[in-house]
Amino acid sequence: MIKKQFSENARRARNMIWNAAGRYDFEPPFMAYFPNGTPDYYFDMMIGFAEKWLDMQRLWDFFKGYEKDRRAAEWDELLWLGLENALFEKEAPERPVLEELRKKRGERFYEEQARLSRQQMEYQSMPVYTQQEARWAAVCGKKLPLLTPRERRMAEALRFSGDLGTDEILAAMKAFLETFFKAGKLSVDVSVHKGGKLASLFLRHEHRRKDRFLVRTGSGEGDHARAVSLGHKGLGRHTAPDEEDEAYVRAVFGRSLLSDEERRLLTNELCMEEDADCRLWMTRGEAVDESFPEAREIQEKRKKQEARNDAYVKENAAVIQNTVKSLSSGIETVLSTYMKHLPEASRAGRLCPEKAYRLPVLQDGRVFLKEGEETEQEFFVDLLLDASQSRMNSQEVLSAEAFIVARSLTAVHIPVRVTAFRSLRGYTILEELKFPTRSDCRGLLRYYAGGWNRDSLALEALGRLEDDPALRGKQRILLIMTDANPNDSTPAAAAGQFLPREYEGAVAVKEAEKAVRQLRNRGIRVGAIFHGNTSHLADLHQIYGHSCVRIRKASQLAEGVSELLLMMLREIRTD
Amino acid sequence: MEELFTFLETEGVSAPLLEAVRVFRKEHAAASEQKSRIPVPEYYYYGKKTWELALAALLAGKNLLLAGPKATGKNVLAENLAALFGRPMWNVSFHVNADASYLIGTDTYNGQAVVFRPGPIWLSAAEGGFAVLDEINMAKNEALAVLHAALDFRRAIDMPGYEKISLRPETRFIATMNYGYAGTRDLNEALTSRFAVLDMPLITGENLQKLISRRYPAIRERICSQLVKLYEELEKKAESAEISESALDLRGLLDAIALMDQGVLSGDALTMCIVNKTFDSYERGLIRDVIEARIPADMTREVVFEG
Repeated sequence: MIKKQFSENARRARNMIWNAAGRYDFEPPFMAYFPNGTPDYYFDMMIGFAEKWLDMQRLWDFFKGYEKDRRAAEWDELLWLGLENALFEKEAPERPVLEELRKKRGERFYEEQARLSRQQMEYQSMPVYTQQEARWAAVCGKKLPLLTPRERRMAEALRFSGDLGTDEILAAMKAFLETFFKAGKLSVDVSVHKGGKLASLFLRHEHRRKDRFLVRTGSGEGDHARAVSLGHKGLGRHTAPDEEDEAYVRAVFGRSLLSDEERRLLTNELCMEEDADCRLWMTRGEAVDESFPEAREIQEKRKKQEARNDAYVKENAAVIQNTVKSLSSGIETVLSTYMKHLPEASRAGRLCPEKAYRLPVLQDGRVFLKEGEETEQEFFVDLLLDASQSRMNSQEVLSAEAFIVARSLTAVHIPVRVTAFRSLRGYTILEELKFPTRSDCRGLLRYYAGGWNRDSLALEALGRLEDDPALRGKQRILLIMTDANPNDSTPAAAAGQFLPREYEGAVAVKEAEKAVRQLRNRGIRVGAIFHGNTSHLADLHQIYGHSCVRIRKASQLAEGVSELLLMMLREIRTD
Repeated sequence: MEELFTFLETEGVSAPLLEAVRVFRKEHAAASEQKSRIPVPEYYYYGKKTWELALAALLAGKNLLLAGPKATGKNVLAENLAALFGRPMWNVSFHVNADASYLIGTDTYNGQAVVFRPGPIWLSAAEGGFAVLDEINMAKNEALAVLHAALDFRRAIDMPGYEKISLRPETRFIATMNYGYAGTRDLNEALTSRFAVLDMPLITGENLQKLISRRYPAIRERICSQLVKLYEELEKKAESAEISESALDLRGLLDAIALMDQGVLSGDALTMCIVNKTFDSYERGLIRDVIEARIPADMTREVVFEG
């Protein structure tokens, strides 16, 4: 049975292969696992050594040449036993520890055998088992099993020498199959270089499915019937996004704000455990590649949506103006209470003239001021907008409400960054709609809905974006406009579980809750502005606790958001 | 300090540069009360070209910014330079709250009057020292603005309310900065332009082997070469961002060898000094895998060292 290995195990196996190969710039085509799903490090090292010493592409082609044969899995295991010998001999002089590792692998073989049930034993291929036993008995210095003359010749033939190059090894592999399995009609041409991947019992090969990025084709008047919906396509094996997905995301959403290196670091840090098969993409929607047919189509729809958002803001200009005015004054009142900065008296620092008399008169040296522990409360607000497809029928309203919140904060000189997030093809895309240092909020009109929403990953990613100079030394507040209904097509991977779980419902809510808790532990205050169904209220409270407010219409924003901020700031005060 | 000169001669560092340093030392001999501040390096920096560039910059009266990833020997080089030039050294560790008073000095009361308590920059300026500005990019740019006049052609520190002092001609500033390190950022242009910037290369395998053998002459060569390869493998892993830089710790490797010298088994020594430097269990696993694929865990002192 082929089992998909998720997260940590797969990454550790990959790392072992890369380390052995001495290179990190390739995606290993093969990976080795024990039957319980843990990586077989010794053979993973061997795969790395194959990359280092031999032409892996040609080996691949060879394995691919017979992949349709019913005995393919058996042959794989036998041939890798042959390769193991050659690679061991090649590498051992450079890596003395390898001999010990080889012995340990041999011992592990016996442990694995002891664990097998009778039924599992019956499923084992006898030729493979015999050859493995012959190999590991010799390595571990155990008594050799009784072999028939044919089996002995096979064992001999599988001791590929370390002096062989790729050509000779391929020839030896071919000769082995022809001699012992009469595989005379192998469609393998050892001298031809072909592309391709191998999927077998021993070496696992991963597949993934693709989802398309869909944007609304409806009118925006709440006509559910015309809105496009994305559905989970059932749990198949699923892997991390590949280059094609990255090209798609780049073309449709614009170039990444982060360099490849930064993105990799962030991915390594955040795309772990349940998010192991996800990737992150930060963008400002710049340099969209319109030569990409889908990108052009989507761009056109986005522009239409922007025009609709703009028209909505204009139509409701009076209400919006009023709400901005009352919300900004509300925020100011709330914040003024928390903006006191108290310098501390000290024996060294800046001399405080009005206290100087205390020196000669009272012999009190504490007449200097230094920056106290209690510093002025300054804030930086992140406004995170759920831009998934579930918001499709209220895009204009959401865009206007986000606009109001951002404008109000800017009006009282609080830097605010607005980011929309959605997930697609395993990527969680964060699109920056407003830069913190600029007061212009019109970028918010570019808001549109489409895709999934992996709230947990988006929250975590935004929490990590700390390099903005506007952020330095400030208390961070993160407000999310959400429907408390996280949902993504990339399943939640989990170590030790063979079957992935869909990223939806209780699983997704738990993930989001965990993300919020982590942000709070890092000193970031998280609050939610909820626009959603009553059925998700319980989830809302599970994820955000008390720090949330429900908004049904824009006119409630002023009061609601002021109250929410007050609630969150009280928490800061009591820290 | 003759030993350091001999070391540099053996490493093939340009003789005229070394001669110029000797002349500098003669012209600017340290006062006896400063001698305790002249560092005595435990390790020597290996890298001929880097040495030559650094010496040339300092001899030309320039300030030096040593920029590079972790474990490239920035601080070792800075310390070696102060030792070679025979100047007292002040180490200034930068942090986000470093401000002018921390760097230049602050007022305090000595029981009779308010007096100025000089900070390390002021002391280096007044005493002709080498100020090592460690992790300079950790500080806020505003805090660094007070250094501008000291670092450029004016070579002076002017504190409002105090006299202006000029830097002694021997004074040099050597800043270090890590890049690719979370929480750090680029220096502003005004500050960078006041330094000659030296990009610190990663230590080569050959130099690392020399460094270890010099510190632990009894280490067996084959073990030493495996440890060097282990370090290179960790370096590659950190470069590809599979592990964080915290595990890439040259000091950690040397400490592990020191522990093995004390009779700690190789596996335990490497765990204490390298694996446990990172607090992420997944990352620890990756590092442990690399170590296990290179170094047996049960090597005793007798296996690692001769005699």
